[in-house]
Amino acid sequence: MIRIEHISKSFNSHVALDDVSLHVKRGHIFGLLGPNGAGKTTLLRIVNRILTPDSGSVLFAGHPLCADDAEHIGYLPEERGLYKKMKVAEQALYLAQLKGVPRREAEARLHTWLDRFELSAWANRRVGELSKGMQQKLQFIVTVLHRPELLIFDEPFSGFDPVNAALLKECILQLRDEGATVILSTHNMSSVEELCNEIALLDTSHVVLAGEVDQIRQAHRTNRYKVVYRTETADKAPQLPDYAKTLSVASHCGNTEMLLELSGDGQDANDLIAKLMPQCRIVAFNEVLPTMNDIFIERVKY
Amino acid sequence: MKKILLVIRREYTTRLRKTSFWVLTLLIPLLLAACYALPVYLASRPAKSSVVLVVDETSLFQSSFSNRKNISYRDAGSMDYARRQLDNEACGAILHIPARETTIPTDAFLYSRAGALEPAVRSDIDAQLQRILVNNILLDVHNISQEDYHAITHTNIALHTRDIETGRDNHRQLKTVMALILGLVIFLAIFLWGSQVMNGVMEEKGNRIVEVLASSLRPFQLMAGKVTGIALVSLTQLILWIILTGAAIGAIRSANSDLFELATRQEQMQSLATKGPEAVAQMKALQETASLPEAVKGLAKINFGTIVPLFALCFLLGYLLYANIFAAVGSVLDREGNYSQFILPLTFPLLLPLLLFPLIQASPGGPLAVWLSMIPFTSPVAMMLRLPFGVPTWQAVLSMAILAVSVPVAARLAATVYRKGILRGSAKF
Repeated sequence: MIRIEHISKSFNSHVALDDVSLHVKRGHIFGLLGPNGAGKTTLLRIVNRILTPDSGSVLFAGHPLCADDAEHIGYLPEERGLYKKMKVAEQALYLAQLKGVPRREAEARLHTWLDRFELSAWANRRVGELSKGMQQKLQFIVTVLHRPELLIFDEPFSGFDPVNAALLKECILQLRDEGATVILSTHNMSSVEELCNEIALLDTSHVVLAGEVDQIRQAHRTNRYKVVYRTETADKAPQLPDYAKTLSVASHCGNTEMLLELSGDGQDANDLIAKLMPQCRIVAFNEVLPTMNDIFIERVKY
Repeated sequence: MKKILLVIRREYTTRLRKTSFWVLTLLIPLLLAACYALPVYLASRPAKSSVVLVVDETSLFQSSFSNRKNISYRDAGSMDYARRQLDNEACGAILHIPARETTIPTDAFLYSRAGALEPAVRSDIDAQLQRILVNNILLDVHNISQEDYHAITHTNIALHTRDIETGRDNHRQLKTVMALILGLVIFLAIFLWGSQVMNGVMEEKGNRIVEVLASSLRPFQLMAGKVTGIALVSLTQLILWIILTGAAIGAIRSANSDLFELATRQEQMQSLATKGPEAVAQMKALQETASLPEAVKGLAKINFGTIVPLFALCFLLGYLLYANIFAAVGSVLDREGNYSQFILPLTFPLLLPLLLFPLIQASPGGPLAVWLSMIPFTSPVAMMLRLPFGVPTWQAVLSMAILAVSVPVAARLAATVYRKGILRGSAKF
């Protein structure tokens, strides 16, 4: 859907992006991660043609990005902004028309979206009268109202309570199912695991990690396993093989939960289970993959 | 183009819905109508009756003061008596003429309570003092008849400037007033609506919507839409001002037709003229209105066929030039920043011809005036200041051509600054 090739961008002496290349597949939700100041917003602005890169190119649906593509892109910037004195519906329709949607069609779509976000009663009120949360919802609506093929959300969940954040996630997944491609820039790592198929981690103007979320987590596996078991007497702990190191132990309602790290060659989970089975009753056994949060912290060198 | 039209429509409709737009639209005609009607009302306002006690220690003036419709003069023997009368509110003022060693007194004092003295009383006493002095003293001493004195003191030669070709009056004074009005209107109009463009740009930058807009349309489209939208708002407001001011003045005139009737004014003037020198002050006030037909005759001589289209062109091009500059400056300023300090240097070139008006007026075809009307930053105002005096066609055409060419150049430069400026400081990179 979108291919970013060797993009570099500097502001005076500050290098914001240095030879950044990414590929976002159609119908995927792509997570753009990175610490503050890594260059994420600059990259998103280049994709939106707000900034022009010093070098490199952006291909949109196979062709070099051009002015007309703006109608197929929806952008929710991190710095939210609306005309405070304009009415809710009027503002949404104006911005949709700027994206090339005929007014009547935009009106029909807006009606549905306002209902969904429980803003219908506010359609003829000025934006300045809305609460911050409601303004955030309106900002989301104006981003998606023109049914863009590519949606770019910069920190979409900031300012939302858990209920509305869940509603937003549901909407993003629905838009993806309807065929939209999504670029999600966020610091909310749990939402990355929940929503994203692929990610790229930007740090100090470079891509330091890119790929599918599951593969990245597998690649960063640390051979840790969680075992939940029961024994006949609570104080009777099972004997562990030498290659298994206990990281933590906790008991809940007669169950004991143990976090183990396996070391050494040729030893695997099967062997461990075989050793444990005679000693206790295994309730659960699973591999503990590192979270995106763990990987983020590990890879970003401050 | 479609996007520019959308921006124009938004700018136009949102501004027309603002309360401030309608307040200003209604306020200006009301103020203009008030400026027109107030002097006439004040002149025609019936004065309060006043009693003036005269304490004349020179014995030269006693019994010589003539009573007026609302002012009566009474002699008082002493200041003590007069003071008691003033305390008892039996009189409104005390005129004290102290004794002097010289024959002709040089000072007189008018006592009253603070703020209680009608201006008409003061001017009447002043006029009567002069009249009595002249009649009772100077004429007696120098043996000059009242008619001769009147003939000598009322000489007033009117200097008319005439065109050598046509031999007609060229109404220089009227043209000067007209030039100043046209120049001021152009200056204020460009200033008022140009700064609206700047505020609009700063508003979009301040509330961060500019990033959403920049992802939908090119900065140039946004700027062009805003500048054009506000131009249409300004034209709407100008037209409404003209219509409403005309309507307000018309309504005042028809509601008070007796006050504004010129014939009655002239009659009043003639009757006042016979009353002697004390009426001179009142006459002067009336002369302004009485000489209106002359002004109208002068106006008819001014070439409105040239002035009106040139005024429209100067305003439009001048506004476009300055609006682009204002937009560019607005884009690089922060909302919190003290932007008012930029207004003066920005509008100074526009103000310059007004400051130099005495020189332009002295020589409307001179090098200073011509150069000022060629430089695009000063030409909208300078051209208006010269226009009523007559401008050679080639100069008018050249001036407008330079201005017209400078608009797209300014727009291009402004767009470059604007593109970079609107996102500056709005977010981290």
